[in-house]
Amino acid sequence: MLLQLTQIEKRFGGVTALRSGNLQVQAGEVHLLMGENGAGKSTLMKIVAGLYQPDGGSFLWRGQPVRLTRPADASALGIAMVHQESLLAPHLTVAENIFLGALPSRGFGLVDRRRVHDEAARLIATHNFPLQAGWRVERLSPAGKQLVEICRAIHRGSSLLIFDEPTSSLSEAETREVFRIVGTLRERGAGVIYITHRLDELRSLGDRVTVLRDGETVHTAPMTECTTESIIQHMVGRPVTAIYRREPLPPGEELLRVDRLSLDPLLKNISFSLRAGEIVGLAGLIGAGRTELCRAIFGLDRPTSGSVSVAGRGVAIRSPREAVAAGLALIPEDRQHTGLATALPIAYNITLAHFDEVARMGFLRRAAEESVSRRFIQQLRIKCESPRQLAGRLSGGNQQKVAIAKWLVKQARVFLFDEPTRGIDVGAKVEVFETMDALARAGAAVLMVSSELPELLQVPDRILVMRQGSLTGELPGRTTQEEIMRLAAFSQEASA
Amino acid sequence: MIQRLLPFLTLIALFAGLCIASPHFLTTTNLSSVVRQTAVINIMALGMTMIIIAGGIDLSVGSILAMGGLLGSMAMERGLPIIPSVLAGVLTGLICGFLNGLMTTQLRINPFIVTLGTLGIYRGVALMISNGLPVHNLPAGFSYLGEGAIAGIPFVWFLLVVCAAAVHILLEHTKHGRFAFAIGSNPDAALYAGIPTSFHTVTVYTIGGALTGLAGMIEASRLMTGQPTAGQGYELQAIAAVVIGGGSLRGGEGTVIGTLVGAFIMGLLANGSDLLGISPYLQQAIIGAVIILAVAVDELRKRKLG
Ligand SMILES: Nc1ncnc2c1ncn2[C@@H]1O[C@H](COP(=O)(O)OP(=O)(O)OP(=O)(O)O)[C@@H](O)[C@H]1O
Ligand SMILES: [Mg+2]
Repeated sequence: MLLQLTQIEKRFGGVTALRSGNLQVQAGEVHLLMGENGAGKSTLMKIVAGLYQPDGGSFLWRGQPVRLTRPADASALGIAMVHQESLLAPHLTVAENIFLGALPSRGFGLVDRRRVHDEAARLIATHNFPLQAGWRVERLSPAGKQLVEICRAIHRGSSLLIFDEPTSSLSEAETREVFRIVGTLRERGAGVIYITHRLDELRSLGDRVTVLRDGETVHTAPMTECTTESIIQHMVGRPVTAIYRREPLPPGEELLRVDRLSLDPLLKNISFSLRAGEIVGLAGLIGAGRTELCRAIFGLDRPTSGSVSVAGRGVAIRSPREAVAAGLALIPEDRQHTGLATALPIAYNITLAHFDEVARMGFLRRAAEESVSRRFIQQLRIKCESPRQLAGRLSGGNQQKVAIAKWLVKQARVFLFDEPTRGIDVGAKVEVFETMDALARAGAAVLMVSSELPELLQVPDRILVMRQGSLTGELPGRTTQEEIMRLAAFSQEASA
Repeated sequence: MIQRLLPFLTLIALFAGLCIASPHFLTTTNLSSVVRQTAVINIMALGMTMIIIAGGIDLSVGSILAMGGLLGSMAMERGLPIIPSVLAGVLTGLICGFLNGLMTTQLRINPFIVTLGTLGIYRGVALMISNGLPVHNLPAGFSYLGEGAIAGIPFVWFLLVVCAAAVHILLEHTKHGRFAFAIGSNPDAALYAGIPTSFHTVTVYTIGGALTGLAGMIEASRLMTGQPTAGQGYELQAIAAVVIGGGSLRGGEGTVIGTLVGAFIMGLLANGSDLLGISPYLQQAIIGAVIILAVAVDELRKRKLG
């Protein structure tokens, strides 16, 4: 037995994150760790990685009790973790981040830069990741950062690797590579703990599964004895369906029209339109330009040519403020950097984009803010102490819900959701879909950027596909994964 | 909770300690003088609180104070009545602050660098305008601003209370204040939420400048001179007041009450050292140590909460 955690407890101030965390991991197994948002998965894993100290319980490593007081202690045991929220040094390069804490030296404390760069480049090349060793991390998308975290962990960890939602921002190709990496680790006899909210991953990965609910381990079993439904039932504590089917509406008037939009060299001649009542998917690989398209529409980047009209009226959107005024909302993919002010209370975040709704003549009405916040905390089931709690103290999935709630205070006409379910648990995903559906039913048009093919097949009425900055096609809602991949991947025709 | 109240408790302990240690402390004259001495730093620190909350910093406040005091005094010397002259001093500060804000947002230069630059520029301009000479010929009535009293309470005390209340309301109850917190906490998230970040950033520096201009006029009134060399080193005291009061140089954190407490802690330390005959050299070291201590305690509190 590699790792044996028994009745681990962890409190943050008055919040109990873990009541009784039990987990046993053997060498050579892939152990899935499941649970709803805020169940305590990340907290438990951070204890294993030496970032937090438990308040109670026992922690055995290869049968011996250990006490890890810093991440370096965990590293010394061969434990490495891919974090849910990127813990990288933004101003350093990809290569430096991969080797951080274990930089090859030329003696006298000097860093051997060439070796750092070359070894990182080799590591990236073996996995075919769309990264370059010399890039600065702050410029990377969440997916890019995730891949750097993965490189760093596989470089570091020898006996136990923890993946905390590694694929939540990755697309198909990279996800497959992550699976391959996990497979190799298992063959090498390492232990792997894998946290995910993507049900399609369960079957292809795990040997055993442990389910946490409200800080307690409620279930452990070999994968062969579980069904997806039984796992969900243990997670939620009641039977639920994870299958969402949307009843499409007859589309209404055209609300967003994008005409030959280009932004050198990221976007090429993109035209499409969204109608009231519609949810339109936007598929593509990492780097296909989906986020860039949203940014350009929302006035964050200036397109080189092309035009945008909202509700039939041509508008020149030069800043997010003008976008909001025109009736647009953008839920960005990177909640830590662009979606939330993590050091501020939940309530501040929720009312940020539509402050006027809770103010009178520029003066805040506290009671209104409080009731609006409570309404969305309830509606989206945000697990928190109170609206005054700092947003950064929430679990990853609950932070995502706050980032969404911010745009619900006042209904916009066009919603751009960039990876809206990133890090959200199965039950809550359905709630997010229902929220999007309600917006559409209330007369909005919704664009849903997603890298998760299963949800693209469930929710949108039709799907646009991008590849290398161009729209390569449009598919009906009930298409197949193969069809989407055909349009999204670098095909022969594209290079010919 | 205890730790959040720590600056406050420190202030009370300091006050009580000084009452016991020196018979000259708890007298109207002494307390009035403490209030008068700290009012200048206090009013500057109020503006600094807003700037720091919005994720900025203003190192040029000492020079702005000199500019405001000098130009206001020169206006009076040339015959402008007192109240318009005081307003001229405030306006001077306002313009200096506005320029700081404009440069950080439009040239996208780190405010530390911009205001390090304007610290030199404003000081240089003040010295050039005045030829380096102080302005002495001020109307006697002007001394009321810094030295006057209503029913025995220093006039500046009322000014301070009004400014503090205004800044508090601005920060905690208005859109502008909320946006300042958001910009300081995460400028990108604020931008993505459709907040006109540049506008609000410039506003914060402008208000800070105006308050500093007022502080400059108070300083000039207390000395009955407009000095181009006034206010040197005040920026550090203003920043220290904010930080002791729980403000964070990372932005997004700070309160008016905290800043006032911070400024009074420093004021009492200075006053107490004078009364007890502690050398002014040691005084500086004590204040320095208090700053480090205050921040260390604050960080500890945050770490404990994870
Ligand atoms: N630093 C912290 N301070 C206060 N509370 C915290 C902190 N970190 C986590 N929590 C709380 O502990 C609980 C468990 O959080 P954790 O991040 O472990 O959840 P999770 O299972 O990883 O959820 P998710 O699927 O959303 O990532 C949550 O209720 C969260 O609000
Ligand atoms: Mg988590």
